[in-house]
Amino acid sequence: MIIAATVIIAATVLTRESTAHQQPLSKGRGGVLADQYFLIAHEDRTGRSRLHPRATGLGLAAALLGELILEGRIGISEGDLIILDRHPPSDALAHDILDLLVAQPQHRDVRIWLAFLSQEAAVRVGERLSRLGAVEPVTRRRMLSTETLYMPNSPAQRNAAAWAPARLANLLVRGIGMSISDRVLIGLVAATGLTRHVLYDFEAHRHAFQSLPSAVGSLPADLRELVEYTEASVGSVVTVGRR
Amino acid sequence: MARMEPEEPDIVSKALAKNRLGVPSVVFFGVAGAAPLTVIIGSITTIYAIIGSTAVPIAYLVTAGLLSLFTVGFVAMSRHIVNTGAFYSYISHGLGRVIGVGAAFVALPAYSLMQIGLFGLFGSVASGILGAFGLSVPWYACAIAAWFAVAVLGLLWVDLSGKVLAVLLVLEISIVLIYDFVMVTNPADGHVTFSQFSPAPLATPVVGILMVLAIAGFVGFEATVVLSEEAKDPKRTIARATHIAVILAGVLCAVSAWAMSVNTGPDQIAAQAGKHQTDLVFQLVGPHLPGFLVDVGYLLFLTSVFAALLAFHAAVSRYQFALGREGVLPAAWGRTHPRTGAPLLGSITQSVLAIIVLSIYALVGSDPLVFVFAWLTTIGGLGVLILMWAASAAVLAFFMRNRRRESFWKAYVAPASAFLLLTVVLVATCIGFGELLQVNGDSPFQWLIPALYVAVAVVGFVWALIMRAARPEVYAAIGRGTDGRVNVVPDSTSMLRALHADPVGARSGYPY
Repeated sequence: MIIAATVIIAATVLTRESTAHQQPLSKGRGGVLADQYFLIAHEDRTGRSRLHPRATGLGLAAALLGELILEGRIGISEGDLIILDRHPPSDALAHDILDLLVAQPQHRDVRIWLAFLSQEAAVRVGERLSRLGAVEPVTRRRMLSTETLYMPNSPAQRNAAAWAPARLANLLVRGIGMSISDRVLIGLVAATGLTRHVLYDFEAHRHAFQSLPSAVGSLPADLRELVEYTEASVGSVVTVGRR
Repeated sequence: MARMEPEEPDIVSKALAKNRLGVPSVVFFGVAGAAPLTVIIGSITTIYAIIGSTAVPIAYLVTAGLLSLFTVGFVAMSRHIVNTGAFYSYISHGLGRVIGVGAAFVALPAYSLMQIGLFGLFGSVASGILGAFGLSVPWYACAIAAWFAVAVLGLLWVDLSGKVLAVLLVLEISIVLIYDFVMVTNPADGHVTFSQFSPAPLATPVVGILMVLAIAGFVGFEATVVLSEEAKDPKRTIARATHIAVILAGVLCAVSAWAMSVNTGPDQIAAQAGKHQTDLVFQLVGPHLPGFLVDVGYLLFLTSVFAALLAFHAAVSRYQFALGREGVLPAAWGRTHPRTGAPLLGSITQSVLAIIVLSIYALVGSDPLVFVFAWLTTIGGLGVLILMWAASAAVLAFFMRNRRRESFWKAYVAPASAFLLLTVVLVATCIGFGELLQVNGDSPFQWLIPALYVAVAVVGFVWALIMRAARPEVYAAIGRGTDGRVNVVPDSTSMLRALHADPVGARSGYPY
C-alpha cells in the first residue's frame, strides 16, 4: 500500500520531466531540478536544512537558474546571465523568475542573482513541492515567532523524499545514463557540500566518487559555470559565518 | 528607441541591501576585533611597565595614522580581487604566489600566537578577580576554562552576534571614557600636562618597539574586508568603516594612555604600571569613583578579552580553512561542518595548539602576564607587522601594473608612503626585539624570533615551488581563496567521519 503510494508520488514529482522532454528547444528536462535538490537538502523527518541555511538557499537558487538554462530560456557567459528566450516556461515559479530576470536588466552578475534568489528559494520551492503533494507545510512555534517548514508528512511522501538521494547515488554508482539535469544536480550537491550525504557509504559508493568529476566536467559550459559560481558563493558565505 | 530604464524599482538591490551590513555594523566588527578595552587595560599598562617611555599616547596616534594610510591602498585593492579574506591573498596577487604562500606560513603562527597570548591575559585577570572573592584559583585554571568555552563555541561556529558585540562595545567605550575623564580631572600635581603628545621621542630608537606594540593592539581591524561581500555598498562601506575603526581605536587608546600618565604624572607612570600591572587603571580611578563602576570595569574587561579570544579563534580557523580550500594545506582543512559552516579542522587545530602551549606554560610555572600575554602577543604582533609590510608592498606592486581607475593618491602615494613607514618600523623592531622581550644581550631571543619568521617564510616559498612542480593546477588557484574553485569533488580518501563532518542522521532513517 505504502509502496504503491510512493510510486504515485514519485511519479508526480517526475511527471514534468516527460512533458519537458517534448519541447524541442530544451537542452534537457527542467522543473524537477530544484525539487530534487530540495528533497536532498532537507531532513525528511524534521524538515530542517541539512546544510547551513544560506548554503541550502544558494543551492536552490542555482537549481532554479539551472532549470531555466535547461529549458533554454537563459544562458551564462563569463559570469553574466543572458536571456535567450522570453517565452514563459510552463512552471509558475520558473515563469516568475524569468520575468524578474527580464524586468531587472541592470543586474546580470550570476552571483548577485544567486544571492538574491537564495533569500526566498527555500520557501518558493517548498511551495511548489507542496502543490505537487510531495511535501506539506508545517507551521511550528518557535521562541518568539512561528516558522513554516515544508516537509514530507505521510510515510509515502517520506519514502519519496528519501528516494531522491538514493536515486542519485544509484545513478552515480552505475555511472551511466545520467541526464544533463541529473548531472547539474550532482554538481550542485557537490558544490554545496552534500556529497557525503548522498554517497554515505564509502565502500559501496567507491565507484560513484570516481564518476563524479566526469559527470560534472562533461556539462555544457554555462551549467558548469553555474556550479562553479555556486561553490564560490557557498565558500564565501560559509567563511563569513553569518546567518 | 533607446534602451528603456527599468520601470520597476530595483527589487534585487533592495532585497539584498535589507540583509546586508551598513557602516556601523562593520565598524563594530573591526573595533571588536581590535578590542579597545583589552588593549587599554591589558596592553597599554604592560607597554608602560616594559618600555617605560612616556611617548605611548603619541605612538598610538602615529600608529593610527600609519594604519589609516595603509588602509587606503588596502581597501582600494580589495575592490579588485576576489578573495579578500586575508593578507596572504593580497600578497599573492601583488607579489606572486611564491611569496603569497610564504606570507600564509607567517600568518598562521602569528595569529595563532596572538590568540594563545590572550589566554594568558584572561587567566591572569580572572584569577585576580576570583582572588578578590577569596577564591585562590591559579591563572591556568581560568585560562583553561576560557579555552574550553572558546573551543566549543568555535566548533559550533557561534560568534557573538552583532547586537551582543555592539552592546558590549558601547559599554566598554563608555566605561573607558568615564575612566579617562576621572583620570584627567585628577592630575598628579594639580595640572594637566600635554608633553606626552610631543613627537620628539619618536626620533629615538624606542619608536620601533613602541609602534610594534601599538600595532599589535590594532590587529583585528583588517578583518573588516572579510565582510566586503556582506556590505551594503562594497565600494564605500568597507573603506569608510575600516578608517573609522582604526581612528576610533587609535584615539581611544591614545587618550587613555595619556589620561593614565596625567593621573600618575609622566615621571611616575612606568613605576606605577610595573607595580599594579593590569590593575593600574582600576587602582587609579578607584579612589574617585563609586565601587560598582570599578567592578563593572573589571567585568567588561573580562568580556572584552573573551570576545577578542573568540574573534581571533575565528580568524585563525578561517585562515586555515581558506588555505585548505585552496590546496595549500591538506584538503581536510578546507572542509566545513555541513550545517553550521564551521571550519572544523582549523578550529580543532587552533584549540589543540592553544591547550598544548598553555599546559607547557602551566607546567613551567611562568608568569602569565609577561611570558604568555606580553611575549606571545608581541611575537604574534611582529608576524602581523611583517604581513602588513608585505601587503603594503603588494598593494603598490598591484597598482603599478595597472592603476584600474583608482586615484593617484589611492594607487601610488598612500601605498608607497605606508610601505616606507612600515619598513622603518619593521627594521627598528627587528633590531630592538630583544629589548621588547626584556631579555639580556646574549640571549638567543634577541635574534631568534625574527629569524624563525624568516625560516617559516622560506619553508612557505619552498612549499609553493613544490606545489608549482607537483600540482600546477592547484598552484594556479592560490590567492583566490574560498572564492576559488579547486575541485568540486572532495577526495574520497581523507576521512573526517569521526569528526561528524557528515550531517547527523545521514546514515539512519532511510528505508534503503
